[in-house]
Amino acid sequence: MRFALSSGRTVPQGSFIEHKLSKGYQRATSMIYIHPLDLMELGLESGDRVHVTSDFGSVVLTTETTEDIQTGCVYIALGPYANAITGGYTHATGMPDYKDITVEIEPTDDPVPTVWDLMEIVGGLRYGH
Amino acid sequence: MDIKDVPCPFCGCLCDDISVRLEDNRITGVENCCTLGNAKFLSKGRLQHPIMRRDGKWVEVTYEEAIDETARILSDAMRPLLYGWSGTIGEAQVVGVHLAEEIGALIDSTTSVCHNPSILAIQEVGHPGCTLGQVKNRADLVVYWGCNPIEAHPRHMSRYTTYADGYFIDNTATDRKVIVVDIRRSEGAKIADEFIQVKPGGDYLVLSALRAIVRGRGDVIPDSVAGVKKVQLQRVADLMMKAKFGAVFFGLGVTMSRGKYKNVRNAIELVSELNRKTKFTISAMRGHFNVYGFNEVLTWMAGYPFAVDFSRGIAFYNPGETTVIDLLERKEPDACLVVASDPGAHFPKSTIEHMAAIPTVQIDPCVNATTALCQVQIPVAITGIEAAGTAYRMDGVPIRMKKVLETEFPTDQEILERIVTRIREMRSHG
Ligand code: SF4
Repeated sequence: MRFALSSGRTVPQGSFIEHKLSKGYQRATSMIYIHPLDLMELGLESGDRVHVTSDFGSVVLTTETTEDIQTGCVYIALGPYANAITGGYTHATGMPDYKDITVEIEPTDDPVPTVWDLMEIVGGLRYGH
Repeated sequence: MDIKDVPCPFCGCLCDDISVRLEDNRITGVENCCTLGNAKFLSKGRLQHPIMRRDGKWVEVTYEEAIDETARILSDAMRPLLYGWSGTIGEAQVVGVHLAEEIGALIDSTTSVCHNPSILAIQEVGHPGCTLGQVKNRADLVVYWGCNPIEAHPRHMSRYTTYADGYFIDNTATDRKVIVVDIRRSEGAKIADEFIQVKPGGDYLVLSALRAIVRGRGDVIPDSVAGVKKVQLQRVADLMMKAKFGAVFFGLGVTMSRGKYKNVRNAIELVSELNRKTKFTISAMRGHFNVYGFNEVLTWMAGYPFAVDFSRGIAFYNPGETTVIDLLERKEPDACLVVASDPGAHFPKSTIEHMAAIPTVQIDPCVNATTALCQVQIPVAITGIEAAGTAYRMDGVPIRMKKVLETEFPTDQEILERIVTRIREMRSHG
């Protein structure tokens, strides 16, 4: 199913901002907020995982229902998960499209990657003791 | 020991009424702070030594080695990029701008991916703004447009608007109305007198409709605009025109969605329109505690607020070309220095792919997503807790950040100064 995805700040995302590699930050930024009717149409329950794909990439996220957004729209906290599906084109303004990204959402059993996983996908190297 | 009136080094509200309790050079209690600020004051876990990648592995190195390597990377580069700056003080930003000029780098800040469109709009049509003190004492109508104060600036409402006592406001609970415009029913929307739920990308249309109504041309408005009913638009326009002093605050919902700076321009023009009937101001909800400060520093040093390219030997500013995302998307930089920000977590995938492919150095107290993209990371003192200096609040008011803890870690400013000195030495030895 197609949706308009936007990203923005949330309190859980903000309070883990100094601990970007923690489980808490991962949970807070890999949650995709979706209207219960849309979730029903996907045949899923809150907490099930989905594959979210845009023109720029694809990532596995965990669903969380909320009636605070309209049907057809989904929302995610800003962070590395949102950016895995954000493009770098700025329409010559310097600002990429972080809001209103067209995405395709389908159910999946794949695991949600960690922040380190995402950084290694782009060529980085995780740091651990 | 308690230290009073400590400014919080987290968001652009820069609340300067925080009390911190200290025991043995450790923070054991924080008062007046919100969840976000608390988490920062009480945060544990940081990078203990400079680290560097050798043969595909991380190794611990000395400050001397890390600074040497950084100086070598930056002086060898043809197109260095210096990015970040919003989480440090003006004094360190000044050294950053000098460094950029000296090595012909492009310097940009997190502004580029937050309120850059607001600055572009202000450059086009001006800024009818005011300080937060004016809003607190005078505003009987507050509009939060595309921002989420409860989640992103948790004390904005209690310090300056809805829950704050005002000198000219008798009863803030009843005399101050709040309008929230957003694509989702955020926490702020739930306590608003009017909540306008716009379809994603519809801000420009709704702003234009309100302008038309304020202009007395409500007749041209269709029954519904971007999902908002005309009757509601009419009601909101009336509220705005009847206010004695209205204050609009806008956030990334406006700057990041389709239309970008044109959305902000339209919002400013709505405010200008309203100023023909009453008093109205508009201000950006700036995110990082000193993102505004970088705009000040760069403007007084180079003439422009962000995205300045020194590669021609002069300060050159052309947003869309000299902005960090465009530069990385064109894969131009051949070295990158990141200071006090985390592009790894906040930049689109294609751009951080390039950062991982070039020598990138980070100066930051903590391990973060950007660490993985770096060749070198140099840990520093936490600004605003372990290092003092100047930061600018979201309304442009400078506030002195305090040092409440002693630390052995060097400050951002010291590290940057040592890098500059080392580059000069390398260059003088050819
Ligand atoms: S609102 Fe911002 S500045 Fe104030 S305490 Fe919270 S995070 Fe700190």
